[in-house]
Amino acid sequence: MYNEFTMGFKRLFHQEKTKRQTLVTGQVVPETTRCVQCGICSFSCPINIDVRRHAWLGQPVEDSHCLTCGECVKRCPRGVLSFERTHIFKGA
Amino acid sequence: MMHYVIIGMGVAGFAAAESIRRRDPYGEIHLVSEEPEGYYSRPGLAYYLSDEITEKLLFPFTHKEIHTLGVTQHVARALCILPETRRVELSGQVRLSYDRLLIATGAEARPLDIPGSEAEGVVKLDCLGDARAILRQARRTKQAVVVGGGITALELVEGLRARRVKVHYLLRGERYWNNVLDPIEARIIEKRLKEEGVQIHYHSELGEVIQKNGRVVGVRTKDGLKIDCELLAVAVGIQPRIELAVAAGIAVERGILVDEYLRTNLPDIFAAGDVAQVYDPASGKAMLDSLWGPAREQGAVAGLNMASSPEEFQPYSKKVPFNVTRLAGLTTTIIGTVGQGRDDDLLGIARGDSETWRQLPDVLAVQSDFEVNRVRLLLGERRLVGAVVMGDQKLSHPLQHLIRQGVDISPIHERLLQPGAPLAEIIIEYWLDYQQREGHAA
Repeated sequence: MYNEFTMGFKRLFHQEKTKRQTLVTGQVVPETTRCVQCGICSFSCPINIDVRRHAWLGQPVEDSHCLTCGECVKRCPRGVLSFERTHIFKGA
Repeated sequence: MMHYVIIGMGVAGFAAAESIRRRDPYGEIHLVSEEPEGYYSRPGLAYYLSDEITEKLLFPFTHKEIHTLGVTQHVARALCILPETRRVELSGQVRLSYDRLLIATGAEARPLDIPGSEAEGVVKLDCLGDARAILRQARRTKQAVVVGGGITALELVEGLRARRVKVHYLLRGERYWNNVLDPIEARIIEKRLKEEGVQIHYHSELGEVIQKNGRVVGVRTKDGLKIDCELLAVAVGIQPRIELAVAAGIAVERGILVDEYLRTNLPDIFAAGDVAQVYDPASGKAMLDSLWGPAREQGAVAGLNMASSPEEFQPYSKKVPFNVTRLAGLTTTIIGTVGQGRDDDLLGIARGDSETWRQLPDVLAVQSDFEVNRVRLLLGERRLVGAVVMGDQKLSHPLQHLIRQGVDISPIHERLLQPGAPLAEIIIEYWLDYQQREGHAA
């Protein structure tokens, strides 16, 4: 039996699920050869992830706190960063 | 235990230290640099000047991280290399013995060769110390003059504008960077600079620095124009710092000549980065680059070879040079060979520059543009040899790969040459096809 509370809860749960799914299916990846370590990416990150370190090491930003908000991707002056699908649910 | 000495702590020197440490966990690594700040992002200075980042952000690694790498840093000037006794003499009467030595001294700004150029207020942008000096002086500067060309000149122009300094930019010819950009690209940049309030003086050559009590108060051009200014910023090119190598008897041309393993002609001495003149398979000549990416790659390969026996040496293969930069606020990618001839505003190479960009053979150029977005392609018979992408950077990545990998573009050659051809669409379509054929990730 549904009431307003359970409907609201379900909607909230659905939103949260969608958000989480989006976060884990996309990640920021660097193209190391373009990076000059200027630090604008790390400076722009709202939760202080050191994106520049990932770029130096050529590793995707796999930090579970990454919001994939796109600030670093947008602000990098040299097009080092882009979004890539992780395919984590592929075949699931 | 091996003793490694690296002279220079730019990206080539730092990458070499990382590389050596990966290969040899116990060797002693000595890093010698005159700059007390240690390793920082030299290209980041442009963003520091324009107030987009703080000084702290220029340092990618903490002291602790550098300490973990297990290197000994010497803030000193390398005075001479003694190859016979395998030693390097430093200022402060320090002597370092080496089993392997890397020269990664980089390049320095060429000085102005006109009367008054030693006056206070004449600045360059080589290092963090220079950037700090510019910012300090910009606070009490109303008007500045910038001379020179290439990327650094615009970094100075834009940095000073961001600090609310009125800027006069002197160009010797009729356009900016005429041996890399074509006339339309140069006009786009110049128009944007003018919109930012920069006054460009064409056909203007600096004749004299006017000074009062040892300070710059103005400049006079050769045709007699006098401009009052408190700051004169100079970016007329760079020169590799080869003095140490020359004195030690190492073979040099414009830079230090190295073989495919980045060895100089003397045993166990390597060179990498802006100071090295590296064989370019595309042109068959040894070329200078002043690019961060190749400097890092060379440093890494040199470091690996320094810590290896000759039979394990890795060759360094010079790739098609490219740089992504911002010119007058417009993101611009320059790949491969895109121009030729000389630029009167520069003596030789500039920072963020490659000699290869100006080795343009007889090829066909096609371009398409929309407002500030522009793409210019240089077409060889079967492959693209160069490209300039301005503004919208969607094509930057595909073109970088198509050119660097020498992908056969003969299937789209004719289409690209048709008048008014939609270059972007054709390239993207071909790139997607190519990725699918090669099984690349989308």
